[in-house]
Amino acid sequence: MPVISPSAFAPPDRRAANDPATSVPTALREKVRRLERANSVQRSGKAAAVPLGIAAIDALLPDGGLLTGALHEIEAGPCPSGRVAPHDGAALGFAAHLLGRFGPGTILWCRRPTGRFDAPPYAPALSSWFDPARLLMVTAHRDDDLFWAMEEGLRCPGIAAVLGETRAADPTAGRRLSLAAEKNGVPALLLRAQPAPPQSVCATRWRIASAPSCSTPGLKDVGAARWRLELRRNRFGTPSAAETPSWLLEWNDETHCLAVVPQALHGSPGSHFEERLVG
Amino acid sequence: MRLADARALLPDIITVAGEPQADLRLIEAIAGWCDRYTPWVAIDPMGGALADDIERTCSAGGFGGDAGLLLDVTGCTHLFGEGEAGERALLADLVTRLARRDLSCRAAMADTAGAAWALARFAERQADLFCPSRGQRDALGSLPVEGLRLDPPILETFLKLGLRRIGDLYPMPRAPLVRRFGDQPLNRLDQALGTLAEPIEPRRIPPAFRTRLAFAEPIGRAEDIAAATSRLLAALCRQFEQAGVGARQLEIALYRVDGSVDRTSIGTSRPNRDNPKLMKLFEERLGELDPGFGVELMILAAPEVEAWSGTQDALPDQNAPGIASGVDGTIDLADRLALRLGAENVVRLLSRDSHLPERVQVAAAVSSKPAAAGAWRRVASLKGARPTRLLQRPEPVEVTAFVPDDPPSVFHWRRHAHRIVRADGPERIANEWWRPRSDGTHPPAGTLPPVRDYYRVEDDDGGRFWLFRDGPYQLAANGQPTARWFLHGFCA
Repeated sequence: MPVISPSAFAPPDRRAANDPATSVPTALREKVRRLERANSVQRSGKAAAVPLGIAAIDALLPDGGLLTGALHEIEAGPCPSGRVAPHDGAALGFAAHLLGRFGPGTILWCRRPTGRFDAPPYAPALSSWFDPARLLMVTAHRDDDLFWAMEEGLRCPGIAAVLGETRAADPTAGRRLSLAAEKNGVPALLLRAQPAPPQSVCATRWRIASAPSCSTPGLKDVGAARWRLELRRNRFGTPSAAETPSWLLEWNDETHCLAVVPQALHGSPGSHFEERLVG
Repeated sequence: MRLADARALLPDIITVAGEPQADLRLIEAIAGWCDRYTPWVAIDPMGGALADDIERTCSAGGFGGDAGLLLDVTGCTHLFGEGEAGERALLADLVTRLARRDLSCRAAMADTAGAAWALARFAERQADLFCPSRGQRDALGSLPVEGLRLDPPILETFLKLGLRRIGDLYPMPRAPLVRRFGDQPLNRLDQALGTLAEPIEPRRIPPAFRTRLAFAEPIGRAEDIAAATSRLLAALCRQFEQAGVGARQLEIALYRVDGSVDRTSIGTSRPNRDNPKLMKLFEERLGELDPGFGVELMILAAPEVEAWSGTQDALPDQNAPGIASGVDGTIDLADRLALRLGAENVVRLLSRDSHLPERVQVAAAVSSKPAAAGAWRRVASLKGARPTRLLQRPEPVEVTAFVPDDPPSVFHWRRHAHRIVRADGPERIANEWWRPRSDGTHPPAGTLPPVRDYYRVEDDDGGRFWLFRDGPYQLAANGQPTARWFLHGFCA
């Protein structure tokens, strides 16, 4: 049993400490989480969490960032109009952004081709987030093989992160992936082109939909990519005021910077989201 | 003899249709079995050449009648005993084992393939089947001239001339023989006597490295097979170390008591002689092997080896440390994945100098040299914005545009209308005229290569797409525009 300093049990932020109703469950949750994780993190010798670089989101996440050694799920959400998203380009971009934050080392990308209309990830675009030379692409034609390949990757010391692209939701496989990730301190990401039943064991679950971009005034050009990001599950993190915290993000391809769009600048047709924003 | 003639002579004759393909399969199975004696096994070309033609097969010694196998046992007989005793023991072992399976055969051993061929077919006494070293001249002298593997017309003329024994040719002057019959008779004679080399082309390329393990009692348990594999592997790795090589491919063959052979192989992405790692790869495959009624012999061979490059392959690259150096186990992971999923399914991505989006990204084997650090970034910075997903085949879309050369206002894809509110473009990408077309022809000189105009568009739902029009807007004779629109990718 690792020795845990008493300060580790301190509530992470002042608001929770001041409020007696939330401080006890928060402290307890924090304690359980530390006990669960301290072992694996100490063994792997890697950082326990990697910040996303967005203060508003990192504040909600445990240890101020995305946990390495956990399973994270990323799914493409529906369009602002409620229609099923025609593609998961935005979700893939967000997944690539996350992958770029983990490293150094090889990134194992396992995917199951979707038949005739298969659209594999395109490396020139991925190079905005990480060097595609780090990629090891694996194509599996069965879900069993895909989960097996991901698990093998999680056990390999040279792997920085493992991503699996599949529509299948297999609770046993999810549990195994989560355990393997925890044991080796390597993050496992599941990318879903369509919303799927959640894996109960995932540490975080994100839903990303493309949002209308902002043109140069007076022109009708495509601006910097904007994503509507929802944090739908945050297992070890701080509870947020909103049921599902949601942000409008903008990816600047020139400065390689992902940032929350200030609320005052929401001039786009997707404004009906605004009431659900967390300030 | 025709079937009708045979029936007239013997009315209750039992007839069975000839199956040259089944015969060939049997011969190949026996040839595979013979790998236990030597890796250098060939199916007698005299039989193989005739296998297609059943009419000639029976008359001239092909399959069905007397098919043959040629084994080069040079350097293999010491496993059965010293010197000539070992050679005799090998021959006796071969005949007994085949006889045990109800296969009647005649096996002869001689210094040359030609002499052994003639002895196996025409020797009159059992003792003559083994021809001692350099004794083929005496042994062949009394055999009929058919034993020289001559073409039927030459053979017929020889018989007419009264040249019935091979020995009859020994005193003949060579020059007139060549003038009369061409090179063949003397070449065949020289090959049989050993003055002219006759290479045997093996059925399977014999591996450079090979270890074998024979069992006194047949084994069948999976644990025993794994233990035997481990021992073979240790012996083979010692051979690798002495020769300074590493294996790229290893093959294990199980020789079962019923005479059949089961094989499986593993491949590695770089020369490997690490015993535990190779064993781990084998463990994946051993389960597929079927020991049947028992295994009496196992052979581990390395058909493909490469010079050993040492443990320090490359200095770790700061940006791509894992896969480039392979010291951290990534290469071994790739090997394990490739073994189960197939080597073509475990790849890394290399960039290619090309303007066509679908040609820029190329999947390469893990063993290939990885892209230099930053190479992808350079590729990306030269081009415009690129989609995060690229469709393997561009999908045709229906498009409405107010002005022909403008980006479309609406496009229909998979039964959904996407109203375009923002668009970037066009980015014109011309086809590469210096590359031959897919059918290998070059476009005629003077014609313009087809161009594509790419647009990055955003629909009213915020979805971003990559569309292109295959050529400039033009009206055909019937008033329809010639250019079509395609969807090629999805942007972030």
